[in-house]
Amino acid sequence: MVAENKGIEPGGGIVLDGISHAYSGRKALDNVSLTVPRGESMALLGPNGAGKSTLLNILCGLIRPDAGRAIVAGVDVSKHSSEARQNIGVVFQDDSLDDRLSAWENLEFHGLVYGMDKPSRARRIDEVLALVELSEWAENPVRTFSGGMKRRLEIARALMHEPRILILDEPTVGLDAQTRAKIWSYLNQQRRERDLSVFVTTHYIEEAESCEAICVIDHGKVQVQGPPADLKARYGTSLIRCLPRSPEVRQKLLEKYPEAQRLSGDRLGIVVRDQAMIDAFLSEFGSSLKEILIDEPSLETVFLAITGREMRERDEVNSKARGKRNKRI
Amino acid sequence: MSKLTILGRGIYAIWLREIMRSFRDRGQLIGGVSRPIIWLLILGIGLNPYFRGEIYGEVRFVIPFTYLQFLFPAVIVLNIMYTSILFAVSMIWDREFGFLREVLVSPLPKWAILFGKILGGSTVATMHGFLVLILARFADVTLGWDQVAWALVLMFLLSFGLTSFGVILAARVRSFEGFGVFSNTIILPLYFLSSSVFPLDPSLTRTQTAATYPEWLAMLVQINPITYAVDALRGALIGFNQFDPWIGPSIIGAGAVLFFFIALVDFKRQ
Ligand SMILES: Nc1ncnc2c1ncn2[C@@H]1O[C@H](COP(=O)(O)OP(=O)(O)OP(=O)(O)O)[C@@H](O)[C@H]1O
Ligand SMILES: [Mg+2]
Repeated sequence: MVAENKGIEPGGGIVLDGISHAYSGRKALDNVSLTVPRGESMALLGPNGAGKSTLLNILCGLIRPDAGRAIVAGVDVSKHSSEARQNIGVVFQDDSLDDRLSAWENLEFHGLVYGMDKPSRARRIDEVLALVELSEWAENPVRTFSGGMKRRLEIARALMHEPRILILDEPTVGLDAQTRAKIWSYLNQQRRERDLSVFVTTHYIEEAESCEAICVIDHGKVQVQGPPADLKARYGTSLIRCLPRSPEVRQKLLEKYPEAQRLSGDRLGIVVRDQAMIDAFLSEFGSSLKEILIDEPSLETVFLAITGREMRERDEVNSKARGKRNKRI
Repeated sequence: MSKLTILGRGIYAIWLREIMRSFRDRGQLIGGVSRPIIWLLILGIGLNPYFRGEIYGEVRFVIPFTYLQFLFPAVIVLNIMYTSILFAVSMIWDREFGFLREVLVSPLPKWAILFGKILGGSTVATMHGFLVLILARFADVTLGWDQVAWALVLMFLLSFGLTSFGVILAARVRSFEGFGVFSNTIILPLYFLSSSVFPLDPSLTRTQTAATYPEWLAMLVQINPITYAVDALRGALIGFNQFDPWIGPSIIGAGAVLFFFIALVDFKRQ
């Protein structure tokens, strides 16, 4: 679309190049670079406050980065924000529907704001409502929708103007497994049919696993990125997770394995080097544990190895973090 | 598809959402209807006999109008003030419930977003002003079409300026409750100090005015922009002006432009 950018990303996906951003002096993102080729998907993983939402806000032009460039479908977001936004569909971390309007009215509004003409609005509203199985609810006010229905409607809305890039900030948080699976089936269907690039933050392992690439960020820096299989091969470790029976046992464990990670709920995580280590561990501590779990190499252990935190922790902190998460721009 | 068409659709959507919302919001509608009835029918009719000083033998104000006629244009201004300034609650709502971001990530430029919102708010406020206009016959005001048209132009510009003013306030007071309290504490004083319910007699000289009213009161009335808005509407509807007839419309027009630009600067910065 814009000649000067053609050379950078002929495929038209997402390119972030050296993005840095600080909130009143506090660094939230530090020299972040990554690429999502056209038609592919990337999952962005990271603990609370890692800078995920900040990065997505920069991608859709809500925040102007202090340094670096964001290029979306071949268009520089800060130079030609209007063209860039036309190519982007966004699903925010928090609800952004008008719940006093009906589903149809929310979509009609979206179509108008994206400059669509009447026939294409009518056609796309029918299509996207059918896609997320909300056709029967078109006339109902969004106020009466369940959390899952609202999420589906937000996804329908983000797809309505036929964007080439879809940006989703925790689209499935707080939904049951069945609804999550449904949402991903809509997304994957759209990816196949429309060559859509998808950039998503999530803390559900299965969801990240199904993406072509994964990027782990922490403290505003990219820690690793690559296909899930590569990351597992490179960083995945087996991990013993255990809950000691008493503080004394815990103390002894920490003396024996000083590198042990302190996990939530007094549990400890110990990286497994080989089978012999597991045997030694079990014979010494096997009888003084309340709980033990030995993880195979997985994205979860990759995440733990890189950030020192569990992905699941996030479920528990979500409720605490609400206040912070509801922060608005 | 031309850029202008796209822009037009966006502004239309934002405008339409405000209009739809105002029709669905019962409370706002009830306020818009009941306020003028209370002011005009109860206060206006109640005080009507006391307005002319000669009742007590001493003629102070020689204005060839009944109190009801005199109050009528001011009630229009009051209704517009409430609706316009409280419209900013809708801005706070959008920010608070996340809807604002849906609009901010759209291709629409920021000025168009703000313009659409304020246009929506001013249309609703003008309609609420029009509700009062319908009561004209109860206030013994007879209107020609040209008068109605000119009044509507003034009412719309006034609404636009006051809506922008509310938006400027809302950018500073960011909570619903804070804004509610704040706006109520400024609407009524502004209204009472606008020579709306009692006149600053034009036939008196400055010194005579100062003798009739305490100086601070006369001063406050004179520096209050709403005074001139009320005057402009009196000029349009009952042909009575306390000031030069062009002053009111000019101040209304200038306010609309000035406040919109301040609101825009705020909106772009946030
Ligand atoms: N508007 C803001 N003003 C100041 N600091 C902010 C603002 N938004 C985010 N931050 C800070 O920047 C850092 C990154 O925040 P961000 O919201 O991007 O994290 P996140 O990875 O999305 O976290 P979560 O998983 O909780 O959504 C945090 O330390 C946060 O406190
Ligand atoms: Mg976030």
